[in-house]
Amino acid sequence: MRRALAVAVAAVVALASPAAAVASVSVTVDRVGVATGLGKRFAFRSTVVNTGPGEARGLVAHLNIASLRPGVYVDPEDWSTSRTRYLDPIPAGATATVRWSLQAVNAGSFAVYVAVLPADAAGRPPTVGRAVRVTVAERRTLDAGGILPLALGVPAVLGLAAGGLALRRRRLVSSV
Amino acid sequence: MSGNRSAPGWWVVLGQELRDVWLGGRGPALTFAFSLILSAVAYLVATNTALNFLEQREAVGLIVQVTVAMGGILVVIAAADAISGERDRGTLEALLLAPVPRRQIAAGKLAAALSLWPAAFLVALPYVWFLGRGVGVVGDAVVVGLLVGSLLALELGALGLVLSLFAGSNRVSLALSLFVLLGLFAPTQLSAGAQQGWAGDLMLRANPLTAGVHYVGRVLVDGHSLGRDADLLVAPAVAAVALAAVALLASGRMRLRPGGAR
Repeated sequence: MRRALAVAVAAVVALASPAAAVASVSVTVDRVGVATGLGKRFAFRSTVVNTGPGEARGLVAHLNIASLRPGVYVDPEDWSTSRTRYLDPIPAGATATVRWSLQAVNAGSFAVYVAVLPADAAGRPPTVGRAVRVTVAERRTLDAGGILPLALGVPAVLGLAAGGLALRRRRLVSSV
Repeated sequence: MSGNRSAPGWWVVLGQELRDVWLGGRGPALTFAFSLILSAVAYLVATNTALNFLEQREAVGLIVQVTVAMGGILVVIAAADAISGERDRGTLEALLLAPVPRRQIAAGKLAAALSLWPAAFLVALPYVWFLGRGVGVVGDAVVVGLLVGSLLALELGALGLVLSLFAGSNRVSLALSLFVLLGLFAPTQLSAGAQQGWAGDLMLRANPLTAGVHYVGRVLVDGHSLGRDADLLVAPAVAAVALAAVALLASGRMRLRPGGAR
């Protein structure tokens, strides 16, 4: 009897806990993989389903990007300028769909995922959807070595021209 | 100011001034200095091999913004010297005695000062091509740079000419021109937060320099179409036309001494 009471109390506490409240939504995405090229834009949709008995209010959907290979610095702000969406209330059993637009600014393999968390998220784990694997093909856009001849050559040509003119002027003045 | 009877006066003045600017050595020296600055900026951004795609577009935007700003400075330096420089050198009297209307003298001098802008733009083209060829923004960069830079060059050239007409000395004219230029550029250094809200937005759009520089960024960095933010070009266009008109009208009052007798 005492053990049954303890189990019941634990169950009530678990159900009433914030983590349980967040678990009443689920997140799905409409794509599992994207293959694209550097600089290309792509988009996918995530759907938040309210699986709980009541209306889900104050949900925040957030997009994040991580490189799956070490040595690639990823600034998610460069990939998408609108990574946080504040969702309207979702009635029980209803869904909310969010379209995410991104631009591939690094080459490599990346995971893009959406996390949904309540506005009063302190201490609660977010609900995370499946990661979308994004493969961005390498495209060399900048040959850093090539800048030196240009950076030296343009001023050199202009400097020679300016110097030549100055010399010619000086000769003209001295001849007069 | 003798010479070609068939050519209009401003054309004769322009020819003389172009020779002064380009064969006299001032134009080549200023263009050479400008190329050194562009080389330093381009080298710093291009040798950062960690640049991602977007940052490379930002690098092109930076080169175009530096070109537009430096082109404006070159033009304002030349225009601010146009009348007050002649006055200081004691050559204005001979110029005023020439059988050329004073507005045409001013128009010729303004056009000669403006010749520094296309030269600066030509110098910038190799850098724009180098940084922008891989990210497909060279065409946009050329169009946007030429459009915004031409408007700002006309506006700043006209401003320099007006100040040169009325300044007591060449030093005052140059100092005032650069002071106004710095004042116009100052809002570009404000943090993004300070540019939010209606007051920040109004300041951004009303100031021809900040509006022009932001237009460059919107097209080259954000990837907007040329027409999407065209409203940002209103202030530069209005300022260019208005200041050019003021400069030509005010040049009718060109005097041997500022505020003095004819």
